[in-house]
Amino acid sequence: MTRLRFWMMTVLLALIAIPAAAQKPGDGPHVRIELVAESDTPAPGSDVTLAFVSTPQPKWHAYWRNPGDAGIPPKATWTLPQDVTAGEIRYPVPERLLIVGLMNYVYEHPFATLVTLKIPASLAPGTALPVSVDLAYLVCTDEVCVPEKATLSTMLKVGDGTIAADRRAQFDKYRTALPRPLGSQATYQVANGSFRLGVPYPADAAVSDVYFFPITDGVVDYAAPQTVGRDGDRLVVETKAKGAGAGPIEGVLAVGKDLGFTIRAVPGAVAAAPAGSMAQGSADSIWLTALAAFGGAVLGGLLLNIMPCVFPILSLKALSLARANDAEGNPRGEALAYTAGVVLVCLALGGALLALRAGGATLGWAFQLQDPRVILLLLLLVTGIALNLAGLFEMLAPASLNRLAGRGTGGSFMTGALAAFIATPCTGPFMGVALGAALVLPWPAALAIFGGLGLGLALPFLLLGFVPALRRMLPKPGAWMETFRHILSIPMFLTAIALAWVLGKQIGVDGMTMGLLVVLGLSIVLWAIGRRQARGQGARFGWVMVLAITVAGVWLASRSPIQAQAAAQVPAGAEPFSEARLAELTAQGRPVFAYFTADWCVTCKVNEKAVIETEAVAKALADGKVAVLVGDWTNGDAALGRFIEKHNRAGVPLYLWYKPGQAEPQVLPQILTQSLMQDLASGK
Amino acid sequence: MSKWILTGAAAAAAFLTGASAPLAEPAIGAPATNFKARDANGNIVELAGFRGKTVVLEWHNPRCPFVKKHYNSGNMQKTQAAAAAQGVVWLTINSGAEGQQGHMKGPEALQFVSGAKAKPAAYLLDPAGLVGKAYGAKTTPHMYIISPAGKLVYRGGIDDKPTADTADIASARNHVSAALAEIRAGKPVSVAETRPYGCSVKYAG
Repeated sequence: MTRLRFWMMTVLLALIAIPAAAQKPGDGPHVRIELVAESDTPAPGSDVTLAFVSTPQPKWHAYWRNPGDAGIPPKATWTLPQDVTAGEIRYPVPERLLIVGLMNYVYEHPFATLVTLKIPASLAPGTALPVSVDLAYLVCTDEVCVPEKATLSTMLKVGDGTIAADRRAQFDKYRTALPRPLGSQATYQVANGSFRLGVPYPADAAVSDVYFFPITDGVVDYAAPQTVGRDGDRLVVETKAKGAGAGPIEGVLAVGKDLGFTIRAVPGAVAAAPAGSMAQGSADSIWLTALAAFGGAVLGGLLLNIMPCVFPILSLKALSLARANDAEGNPRGEALAYTAGVVLVCLALGGALLALRAGGATLGWAFQLQDPRVILLLLLLVTGIALNLAGLFEMLAPASLNRLAGRGTGGSFMTGALAAFIATPCTGPFMGVALGAALVLPWPAALAIFGGLGLGLALPFLLLGFVPALRRMLPKPGAWMETFRHILSIPMFLTAIALAWVLGKQIGVDGMTMGLLVVLGLSIVLWAIGRRQARGQGARFGWVMVLAITVAGVWLASRSPIQAQAAAQVPAGAEPFSEARLAELTAQGRPVFAYFTADWCVTCKVNEKAVIETEAVAKALADGKVAVLVGDWTNGDAALGRFIEKHNRAGVPLYLWYKPGQAEPQVLPQILTQSLMQDLASGK
Repeated sequence: MSKWILTGAAAAAAFLTGASAPLAEPAIGAPATNFKARDANGNIVELAGFRGKTVVLEWHNPRCPFVKKHYNSGNMQKTQAAAAAQGVVWLTINSGAEGQQGHMKGPEALQFVSGAKAKPAAYLLDPAGLVGKAYGAKTTPHMYIISPAGKLVYRGGIDDKPTADTADIASARNHVSAALAEIRAGKPVSVAETRPYGCSVKYAG
């Protein structure tokens, strides 16, 4: 990625080099700066934000607060009316510019830095506030540097603090470009000349093109490449250290284009991220990661063959192939059909998962097993297979049985599909890493991994189908096969019991009993079908009954009352935050709990999972008739940003509690506890 | 002693083969990497030849505004003259590649030295950037001080006012003068490492 950007930059520079070369250094200013106030009439006792709106000439760059290997940060000297104070300059996320081994942290495009002025409360409206600043800054091209100076001034007047709509929009844009404070503290470690930084970052938040811009000087080698790994709720940046490193350090972690977080890191142990855990760096390395993950997926799929949840199904297939050994079969066709079934189901599940994730749902692999309806469907299917293996009935009339065993490419396809579908819950322990990679990789690479999983699962049968020598090693068909088939029904019944248990976990004992009743009904019908088959009669009506019972059972499971309760864990009636809605609710005299969160904030996610979304807290909030407002700052919404800035400069998480009758909210600690929330909700 | 020889040999190898192999930048307190370079008169100057003397290295680019600040004000010449009076060897080094800003050939360099009334013991030409890269020189000016024992005792900026404004020189702490005074008094250098400031060294791409 970096390399790509470098080349693009080189090409761009080459394109603009011809007109710019005519430009003599010294014809200034090479960076045009304008001083703009958000409000020309700030209210007494308020803050007003000023922006240095800067536009570098093509090919020229200005410097960030840490300029990198060479260069100078800008310096502002203010001339302000009495008691008016200016804060520190706040910078947008910079760009990297590597020139012959020297790293520069710069802005090559128009940018704006912000400064906050504090207006004392003692000033009377109408007081003139002349603001002037001497700005000394360095601008360079790749070849030359020019120190420039600008004296900028603006005239403010103490007033009512109104902000014009266009000014507001302009400043919202500037604010969105600033790095956001990442609520949680980072850790760094310097050992053997290498610097490793661990930054808390939620595992399910997407990242790309991560780079650590240090603010503290003398800690890392700026020009050294940085490698980034991901380890659960942690981003790990590794690069070459400079110096021994001691005390806290500050910096900006850029995550993708224009998104950055200010971080503070303290010394401590930082474990390396697992290898290949990040789609990061050049495009080659993404595909290298994908290739490694694909290999892992094939291997994992191979391992799945011996898992208890898959083995019985595979045994079915083995029987069929053993029969196919009788020379009249079509082992290759069957093996291919089986492989197609497995791979297609894996791809379909993977595609569905990716589509759902893209849609914003928080899902993991094996998500289909989180739905009791799917579990019941599987339970019925597995029981049916078990009863079939046990010999209660045949899938088809005895007359067509031989045909099925001989050339059942359709049957093989279905067996494969079934094996893949049932195998997914077994993937966890073996496939965790590969699937994790699949979820951060571009979708074609991710799908390749799902396909690899299927390929691995199908591999033994593919071999069996195409290598007659292997097939000859299978035992000859005979009467033993019937006994073997009956024995195979035992693991299948065990699988059914396991599924019933999962169902019970999901929808309780009542739901499980209901499910087992459906299973019994299905068994009775299958038994009846078997008896008719034994007499050589058709059983079309029986199959219709099987379908009816299955559909009715699944419908019953979806109606389970306990399931409805399990879903009620998000605070009842939570609505998106807006200042208007907040005013409305407080005017009604309702207590309001407003919380601000972002997908990239680990502390937020922990508080939500462990406190806000628990049953106990949700119930306490509902009992206390507390209105819950949720502000999602993931995309840096400007209106939310202003509100957060007003109440807490540290960004998210921010938890505000409005008691009825009190204008000012109580700012709750960044780490919530269930008892704190329950006490607040009950009005203690 | 043996360290000197080793690092010297390594530097000489790099010098002779012309390879820009990255040598380890010497750390404070570590033996300074030896080097050989031609001066503006075409003579070969070797660092190891100055054993027993304090040596100052100054990275230079005559057209860099930050270098101009210290030469146009006379600050750099004053520091050089004071150093020379104490028997310190001052080597001004230009690592600007041919075609880059500030690159000079011998005659131009001599003209600069006499024109600016500069007082270096030698003006070294390092167009391939070998010496600059061996020391990790990043800016002009970038200053290094090597003790009589051949150890690196200071590296960083010329002073603590990172501006291009000559008016700031009067109130600045000149890190090089301060370190030289401490060395003369037999004391350890109190500020041994600072952040250099200036233009980037214009190395060969």
